[in-house]
Amino acid sequence: MKKDIRFTSANFKEEVLESKIPVLVDFWASWCVPCKMTEPVIEELANELKGKIKIGKLNVDQNPKIASEFNIGGVPTFILFKEGKVVKRETGARSKQQLLEMIKEAGISI
Amino acid sequence: MHNSNCTCWNCPAIDLKGKVDFRACGQSTTEFGKKKDETSEVYIMAECKRRPELGLFDPMSITFEDCPQWQKTPYGYLLKDMRVMILGIDGYLGWTLALWLGSLGCRVSGVDNYNRRKWVKERGSHTVIPISSMTERLHSAKEVLGIEIDFREIDILNEKERLKEFIDEVKPEAIVHYAECPSAPFSMIDVDHAIEVQKNNVLGTLGLLFIMRDVVPETSLLKLGTMGEYGTPLTGRPIFEGMFPADAVLHWDGREWSLGGELTPRDPVSFYHVSKVQDTFNVYEACKYWWLRSYDIMQGVIFGVHTDQVSADPRLRTRLDIDEWFGTIINRFVAQAIVGIPLTLYGRGNQIRGFIALRDAMECMTRLIACPPEPGQYAVVNQISGVYSLRQLAYLVAQIGRKYFDLDVQVQRVENPRVEADEHPFEALYEKLPKNYGFTPKVNIAKEIYRMFELLSKPQIRERIEEKKHLIIPKTWWSGVKREVKRLELLDLKEEVKEDEERYKIYQR
Ligand SMILES: NC(=O)c1ccc[n+]([C@@H]2O[C@H](COP(=O)([O-])OP(=O)(O)OC[C@H]3O[C@@H](n4cnc5c(N)ncnc54)[C@H](O)[C@@H]3O)[C@@H](O)[C@H]2O)c1
Repeated sequence: MKKDIRFTSANFKEEVLESKIPVLVDFWASWCVPCKMTEPVIEELANELKGKIKIGKLNVDQNPKIASEFNIGGVPTFILFKEGKVVKRETGARSKQQLLEMIKEAGISI
Repeated sequence: MHNSNCTCWNCPAIDLKGKVDFRACGQSTTEFGKKKDETSEVYIMAECKRRPELGLFDPMSITFEDCPQWQKTPYGYLLKDMRVMILGIDGYLGWTLALWLGSLGCRVSGVDNYNRRKWVKERGSHTVIPISSMTERLHSAKEVLGIEIDFREIDILNEKERLKEFIDEVKPEAIVHYAECPSAPFSMIDVDHAIEVQKNNVLGTLGLLFIMRDVVPETSLLKLGTMGEYGTPLTGRPIFEGMFPADAVLHWDGREWSLGGELTPRDPVSFYHVSKVQDTFNVYEACKYWWLRSYDIMQGVIFGVHTDQVSADPRLRTRLDIDEWFGTIINRFVAQAIVGIPLTLYGRGNQIRGFIALRDAMECMTRLIACPPEPGQYAVVNQISGVYSLRQLAYLVAQIGRKYFDLDVQVQRVENPRVEADEHPFEALYEKLPKNYGFTPKVNIAKEIYRMFELLSKPQIRERIEEKKHLIIPKTWWSGVKREVKRLELLDLKEEVKEDEERYKIYQR
């Protein structure tokens, strides 16, 4: 995984909650096959939407506190944050198209 | 290097400490609505067994590139003196890999119970390339290549305690599991053989998974599956690498879902292949329940006789079988060509399969060993380097035999004793090994076939083929019938053999 899209407990507040632009967080685990298959899509989107929306991943096993704060009950879970607030969340594998739609539905222009 | 960016999260030399709770697969460990418990503050930390002086640290903070224990090799960074255990080390692939890894500096250990030697003997056959006893193999490996191999004769199915002790003693950092019966026709002989193959393969592997859970959960398991698990879907839909990619979407009833990460359908083609599919599910579950890490390697048909190590001395050669049960197709074709039996295509002969040369398969295995999966990760690769129709291969073997070895090679179509499509579309994906693991095939198929002709034409080996040539034409029918298949047609090669030589850049003497 590329370093610049890794969220952890250490940087979550600054990178996600206090971010100036919207953030899409992919809550994932290494034992989760759908998460692994979504990895390339997340990397692609992170590159394509750079500057408009920040996209990154948070490992739920390594960061259990944040995972439980957001009541993650299954992975992958995608949560969209805008100005520190949850604006949309979805659980289960998503195609690139479906993720783009999720972002649009949240009223974020890309 | 393909594994520069792997971190201690991937590394088998790491013990995970802190809140390591892997019962939580897909479930929440905390009760909703309740106050978070204190322990949720504790994170997973790494402790290095090789560098304990580092103390506890973030498992993703050190990359292989930065760790002095991971050292550059032509196939990626490899752990210094990496301990690799090969189950099935006496086999065609196991022995070859042992010498290959040994010469890369790995500390190789291995297990075998000589099942393969017994099965081949039971069928009245033998390996046409003579192989030494294990004692002599070990001695020659030391003498010729300076490789020391720690070997135990253990039956992984019936001697689980001994296997567990050995694994506990060696603490391998990777386990390559080849120790299964590899033959489809052998599993179709009768009920006893079907049961023996399924028991040996499925239950042997299941036992191993429990041992790994208890003794070496951080070790990566490289488990051999086969491309035959997928079958050949007649719709022509691609054969993915084990799981659907995230962009595969299921449309139904005006709705849609991503299929990303779900296992693709399997359609095995013999009771042997069914055993491999069952393995797939057992390994997949073990990763999910216990955080084991595994590559399930969907390997194509292997061909060839050469690596630098096995060719270094006649005592180091690996086995090569040609009989209807254990002879894989290209290996068998070359033997047929040498003793004047027309090469046999089953049915229409337009079956398409994925293939990979012996040497290239060894490189792929090394690149995967070098890049261990993450905790709990079940990963699948399709390990092939090219896709050919069997007819195309028969013509290629015939062409090389005729042109360079002065042999009057014929090709025939015979009744198909198997239940399979002998004319079908085939789009297998095999992108992961090149894209993610830096593999490019090095072996030219025509050159390897040429090399096989050279070796198998040697008088001693030719004689061994002659002795067993009556075991080549199949008598084992999937229906249960036992009779030799009948010839349907002798093919006219004049037209076909004119095929473009350039395409294969055939070896020039
Ligand atoms: N050769 C191929 O073309 C090919 C293709 C696809 C997959 N594979 C798979 O690769 C693996 C190795 O294939 P191979 O061609 O080297 O076969 P092989 O028969 O030469 O090697 C397997 C080895 O495992 C040993 N073994 C079997 N059962 C055992 C047991 N219960 N305990 C201990 N040892 C046991 C055998 O004695 C043998 O030495 C197999 O799992 C096979 O299904 C092979």
